[in-house]
Amino acid sequence: MIRHFKRSFSELDAIVTMTEAVFNEKAIDPSIRFVVDLAIEELFTNMVKYNTGADHDIEIEITGSPTGAQVSLRDFDVDRFDPTQPRDVDIEASAGARTPGGLGIFLVMKMVDSVSYEYQDRTSTIRFSKGVEPLA
Amino acid sequence: MLEIERLDDGDIKLIGRLDAAQADAAQKYLDGVDGPCTLDLADLEYISSAGLGVLLKTHKRLMSQSSALRLVHVSSHLADIFKFSGFDKLFQIETS
Repeated sequence: MIRHFKRSFSELDAIVTMTEAVFNEKAIDPSIRFVVDLAIEELFTNMVKYNTGADHDIEIEITGSPTGAQVSLRDFDVDRFDPTQPRDVDIEASAGARTPGGLGIFLVMKMVDSVSYEYQDRTSTIRFSKGVEPLA
Repeated sequence: MLEIERLDDGDIKLIGRLDAAQADAAQKYLDGVDGPCTLDLADLEYISSAGLGVLLKTHKRLMSQSSALRLVHVSSHLADIFKFSGFDKLFQIETS
């Protein structure tokens, strides 16, 4: 299933509705739903926050089988920004020293099975999988 | 969607999803809370880093008042997020 979403956090409810539809249609293991929702939100909001010069909708594609899901997010006419590059998040820091910055992508990298970034023709594509082999 | 309820015992119950779209509303509510605060997360289905940021900001503010945020009835999914983010070391957490 492929859908396009406006560059707004208010689209998150519609994205969750899409994810729910794919999980139902493909009978995907519901135990991985939380991680898939989390990864999509963190990557989508990252595109909204950091690709501020873009005005195209963001494309999300979700496919799956009963054992897992594969997701791609595509952002058109944007500068290169690879969120999969390692970033330091000190999870041992005290509350006073902690900031939320970078935590979302850090969680994605920890919780999905594979993630990749591609930049071609000013289009950023991020793919991740949970529970199945990554997209070719 | 996210609903916030004040329970009879003074605890605050979060119901639904605490994501980036709901973080501002949750922060606005929690900014009005003073003293020791217990959040009942039994019916919180989902939290993202934006939601974690709300909890952290509130916790830090309460700590500056010699209080703290306590999280109870935390589901296994949420407990995983707290563990991976290191938040399990920052908050007093009771799992469900």
